[in-house]
Amino acid sequence: MFAYVVRRVLATIPVMAIVALFVFSLLYLAPGDPAAVIAGDQATPQDVERIRASLGLDRPYLVRFGSWVWDILHGDMGVSIFTNLPVTTMIQQRIEPTLSLMILTLILAVSIAVPMGVLAAWKQGTIIDRAVMAFAVLGFSVPVFVVGYLLAYVFALELDWLPVQGYTAFSNGFFPWLENLILPAIALGGVYIALIARITRATMLEVLGQDYIRTARAKGAGQGSILFLHALKNAAVPIVTVIGIGIALLIGGAVVTESVFAIPGLGRLTVDAILRRDYPVIQGVVLLFSFVYVLVNLLIDLVYTLFDPRIRY
Amino acid sequence: MDRRTFLRAGTAAGGTALLGGMPAPALSQGAAARTLRFVPQANLANFDPIWGTQYVVRNAAILVWDTLYGFDDQLRPQRQMVESEEVSQDGLTWTFRLRSGLKFHDGSPVLAKDCVASLTRWSARDSMGLMLRGLQEELVAVDDRTFRWVLKKSFPKMLMALGKNSTPMAFIMPERIARTDPFQQISDYVGSGPMRFVRNEWVPGAKAVFERFADYQPRQEPGNWLAGGKRMLVDRIEWLVMPDPATASAALQNGEVDWWENPITDLVPQLRRNRNIRVDIADPLGNIGTFRMNHTTTPFNNVKARQAVMAALSQEDYMRALVGDDNNLWKTLGGFFTPGTPLYTEAGGEALKAGPRMDLAKRLLAESGYNGTPVPCIVAQDQPITKAQGDVTADLLKRIGFNVDFVATDWGTTGQRRAMKNPVGQGGWSMFHSWHAGADCTIPATQIHLRANGERAWFGWPEIPAVESAIAEWFNAPDLAAEKAAADKINRAAVENVLYVPTGFFLTYQAWRSNVSGIVKGPFPVPWGVSKA
Repeated sequence: MFAYVVRRVLATIPVMAIVALFVFSLLYLAPGDPAAVIAGDQATPQDVERIRASLGLDRPYLVRFGSWVWDILHGDMGVSIFTNLPVTTMIQQRIEPTLSLMILTLILAVSIAVPMGVLAAWKQGTIIDRAVMAFAVLGFSVPVFVVGYLLAYVFALELDWLPVQGYTAFSNGFFPWLENLILPAIALGGVYIALIARITRATMLEVLGQDYIRTARAKGAGQGSILFLHALKNAAVPIVTVIGIGIALLIGGAVVTESVFAIPGLGRLTVDAILRRDYPVIQGVVLLFSFVYVLVNLLIDLVYTLFDPRIRY
Repeated sequence: MDRRTFLRAGTAAGGTALLGGMPAPALSQGAAARTLRFVPQANLANFDPIWGTQYVVRNAAILVWDTLYGFDDQLRPQRQMVESEEVSQDGLTWTFRLRSGLKFHDGSPVLAKDCVASLTRWSARDSMGLMLRGLQEELVAVDDRTFRWVLKKSFPKMLMALGKNSTPMAFIMPERIARTDPFQQISDYVGSGPMRFVRNEWVPGAKAVFERFADYQPRQEPGNWLAGGKRMLVDRIEWLVMPDPATASAALQNGEVDWWENPITDLVPQLRRNRNIRVDIADPLGNIGTFRMNHTTTPFNNVKARQAVMAALSQEDYMRALVGDDNNLWKTLGGFFTPGTPLYTEAGGEALKAGPRMDLAKRLLAESGYNGTPVPCIVAQDQPITKAQGDVTADLLKRIGFNVDFVATDWGTTGQRRAMKNPVGQGGWSMFHSWHAGADCTIPATQIHLRANGERAWFGWPEIPAVESAIAEWFNAPDLAAEKAAADKINRAAVENVLYVPTGFFLTYQAWRSNVSGIVKGPFPVPWGVSKA
């Protein structure tokens, strides 16, 4: 097991290297000029050229790439072209809101979707099953921003229960933190809940038809025990896989959700950086997201062993 | 049940059982009244008003750095940090004396050497500053409160240059900061203005915070745009960046922010229906929509092709695409200066307002010898102003008979592409869209886009000697009458040669909560004199 973990961790190195090369090359080839954005509309072409030179953007591709990789290897992600702040500082400023949003969404989604899926499978063909499936279709179909606006309209503008926008750090108290995040988490969680609920239902249906479930019933096990101890545990591997894959959905959805609810997270940082061609920030954030995704996949592989003892690494 | 009650109930119920120690939100009425929450037009992505010349940076910078002179609402430069000035008979030597008691935010006094360093840095980046640099014999500190600027040739527009509100403005910074290369960004934000920048609360893209500087010495006169006493009536200003207008609108209606700089026109009716919100014109000097043609490559290197486009122009189409059916928000233009300001003229500008004359346009295009080559028309889709204009232009060009290559892109790419001088087909371009703040179009000195000096001109690189000589006349004009005569000449030559095409004048709104008072119309959000109940 330990050797497997070490091997997987080491395998992230070439993955990250490829991601780095890809991201850098893509940004190099992409049109757009941060110098022109910095200089503003009143600038002369000469001003733009001079700013470009001062930013080192006139250097050849290989020189820039080499310099960037060298800095990364020394733990330096560079300095934002626009803010003059280290990329690590900007990520530190933004990571808590995004992490909070994703964790809350994850908790909310799993705690709603898994029981929903189990219930739908248990009550297959009934009105409950159909209601769960209808909800799932709705969750897939309605865009995050539409749900976001609707929630903000009802709970913030009409009822005045929750704020429309912003983020309060967890250190300022749990309720202020929750107050700002609950609507975004619900909005972001919709598609995630739908995905997990559908997979849970499908996997549970398959498991509930197995011989050992019939055996469990025959030996007099209660319905709860059959559903949650015998069936759900055996259905867990695909569910956990989907939860892991869904992290990518959350990262993508966070970009929109953070914009709709004006949450100062990494999603908005990424969009702002892309629009301004703030290359060091884009590279830093994409590398971070890639690393997180690789790490999540590793964790999921390890979690498999908890649910299925037959899996050995 | 409102939010506060809901929260209190939540805290009482859940907090006692689960999280007894967790604090509820702090609700201090006094602190809230002393904090103004403002939604700016854009993200404050950098904070060096000389290095980055975006309007949003200028708007934040006027809080933090003071200027020697400042424009009032009549566009007259008034003394601000300066106590007095003296100009020699020959107009070559300017001597400025600072007010006493001026301090930087670190407590050090504002000295003449700080002004010299600040003006040196500013003049490397500003169009008027560059002219002054070209004329400069010396710029030196005489004593702690006096500095002298000696020129080789008189420059009557000196005070205008030092007090103008177009970017970059001549902000005064401590010498150690002002010594930074003007093409490198500063990282120390010690200012001379009424508010101090709270750097450790700055989250670019989300929030910027300013706190009142207790030792600031406002002038005695009433505040008037950049002139007069800059008296801050709040202790703290929080800039909350909201990229989504619908979110900003909801936040304003919900009382989560106090003042929104630029609500989009579509949302204004909804805001007006809310009795807790006031809506008014933001900037009386407004904006001027434009598109520019590339004078150096086919087909628009031929004046007939440019005139064909102008003949087909309908400014009303552009303005309706931009601001909708609110007729109070726009007007057509017969010239290149901001309407309602002293230099506005329609001399020779009939063609701009004549409306679409398609037969004439087609005839002019045929006379130009246009052979159907593609016309790359760059349109930034992420800027509502350029997108709306681009759609109208593309239709107009097609109707005249141009083979339009509609380049839908973003603003960052537009900035890069328009700087390319290659021929069409090799990355070059024929046309791009933009807009200019009306405040920048009041005088030729701040209209870099009005220059027509070929290679050194703004993108499109027009070369029209008649425009250049008229601009020189304006710089040397001794009085307003002479300035107006020069402006007439500029306008005639610019229209005749189609220097670029103004698509109309339009205004935008600002909105604020009714418990906020003192908000005035201006070319930037004027923060002094604003209070909150």
